[in-house]
Amino acid sequence: MDVYCSNNVLQARRTVEQLRLETELQRIKISAAAEQIVQYCQEHRRADPLLTGIAASSNPFKDKKTCVLL
Amino acid sequence: VQPQPDAKMCDQTFLAITFGPCDNCSQNKPLMNIYLKNEPINYCSLCVEMMACQGLAKGETIHTLKAESESLKSKLEEERAKLHDVELHQVAEKMEALGQFVMKTRRTLKGHGNKVLCMDWCRDKRRIVSSSQDGKVIVWDAYTTNKEHAVTMPCTWVMACAYAPSGCAVACGSDEEKSIQYVVLLYVFVILTSSGDGTCALWDVESGQLLQSFHGHSADVLSLDLAPSETGNTFVSGGCDKKANVWDMRSGQNVQSFETHESDINSVKYYPSGDAFASGSDDATCRLYDLRADREVAIYSKESIIFGASSVDFSLSGRLLFAGHNDYTINVWDVLKGTRVAILFGHENRVSTVRVSPDGTAFCSGSWDNTLRMKVKGLAVVIGVLHHPVVSAPRAAGELRNIGHSFPVIYS
Repeated sequence: MDVYCSNNVLQARRTVEQLRLETELQRIKISAAAEQIVQYCQEHRRADPLLTGIAASSNPFKDKKTCVLL
Repeated sequence: VQPQPDAKMCDQTFLAITFGPCDNCSQNKPLMNIYLKNEPINYCSLCVEMMACQGLAKGETIHTLKAESESLKSKLEEERAKLHDVELHQVAEKMEALGQFVMKTRRTLKGHGNKVLCMDWCRDKRRIVSSSQDGKVIVWDAYTTNKEHAVTMPCTWVMACAYAPSGCAVACGSDEEKSIQYVVLLYVFVILTSSGDGTCALWDVESGQLLQSFHGHSADVLSLDLAPSETGNTFVSGGCDKKANVWDMRSGQNVQSFETHESDINSVKYYPSGDAFASGSDDATCRLYDLRADREVAIYSKESIIFGASSVDFSLSGRLLFAGHNDYTINVWDVLKGTRVAILFGHENRVSTVRVSPDGTAFCSGSWDNTLRMKVKGLAVVIGVLHHPVVSAPRAAGELRNIGHSFPVIYS
């Protein structure tokens, strides 16, 4: 169908331009990138309640016990 | 071909054809709706062909362009491979292993009449908004499980909902006119959306004006995430073309692209530092892509996991990745070591959405079993009922549908 053919030239040019941009990107080694990710986890470990758990008293989702008047 | 007066109002995909005067030759012909430098233009197919040919440099043909594109792709792979000196889990070996991971459902929010499709936490860490196939958007108090607001949308599949950072407004997007709409709130004045037509768009809420459009996906864009504010104005999108793209919000430029998944990407989420992002896909894997290394650096998969991942989210430190799957479970991964730490059960149908609370104390999952469940490291389950309807939609929502993205309705 003609519709597809005309689109193809524009698409092809755009793809080439996009790929040119992507190849020129500055990259770092995985060892360096991985090190930063690991470091971030280490630094924020204590501030992550899902890792450390939270005390029952400060857990807003724990059901509070009701008072009983004697 | 009969001219259709409503032609401009139907959803516009790359291949949609309207009929009318060509912007170039002015003749009444079937028109192609294409974008040139982010401006929409309507040319007849002959003018498109001529423009494309004129744009070709000397000696360029579609064949040379395709050959150049293939050679650039190999060059890109080579450049990326040169930097692949180690695996993430090797660098993570020195980290302590995570202890036994136990999470229990603390609250079950019942009240939707049909599948829960999306949810979001409010910054107050207490309120949750959820949207459902039943056409309702409900705001819950997660501590008490009371419903604070319930709004009925003028449609059924409410695919997405999000809280404004101010906590005063909620945006929702729906599947209208076969154009799937996903909404992510930037701040209350601007909205970023992704659509079934393969594009993403940035809108000014008050005027309804399109500020920027993002073209690069070749199929429905299913998910968006904004970079953490400290790292700049970018966002990542994932779609049915198996690609995850990173975009510059101001220029509309696609700055990086990743294509390693083997099926639709249903969910993308930035790592908390903004240097990486995770994706969940119908190929039953989740992957981690590092933006500075420009590469996939980890894959979270097991032979026993065969159902697609619909939604992913990180814990606050980024050490844990939660993934909701179509087999009703949630897998919890050690992001660094690449191992699975836990499987969470409890839902009775597909998990459609998972979100960690803003303070990281809990996470909430929504499912096609019509409920939302909240888990904390601890125990207990409760329920809630009743709603009182609220608010009215801004009138602008109706006119804006012409543009092809059904405009999300804002409630406050």
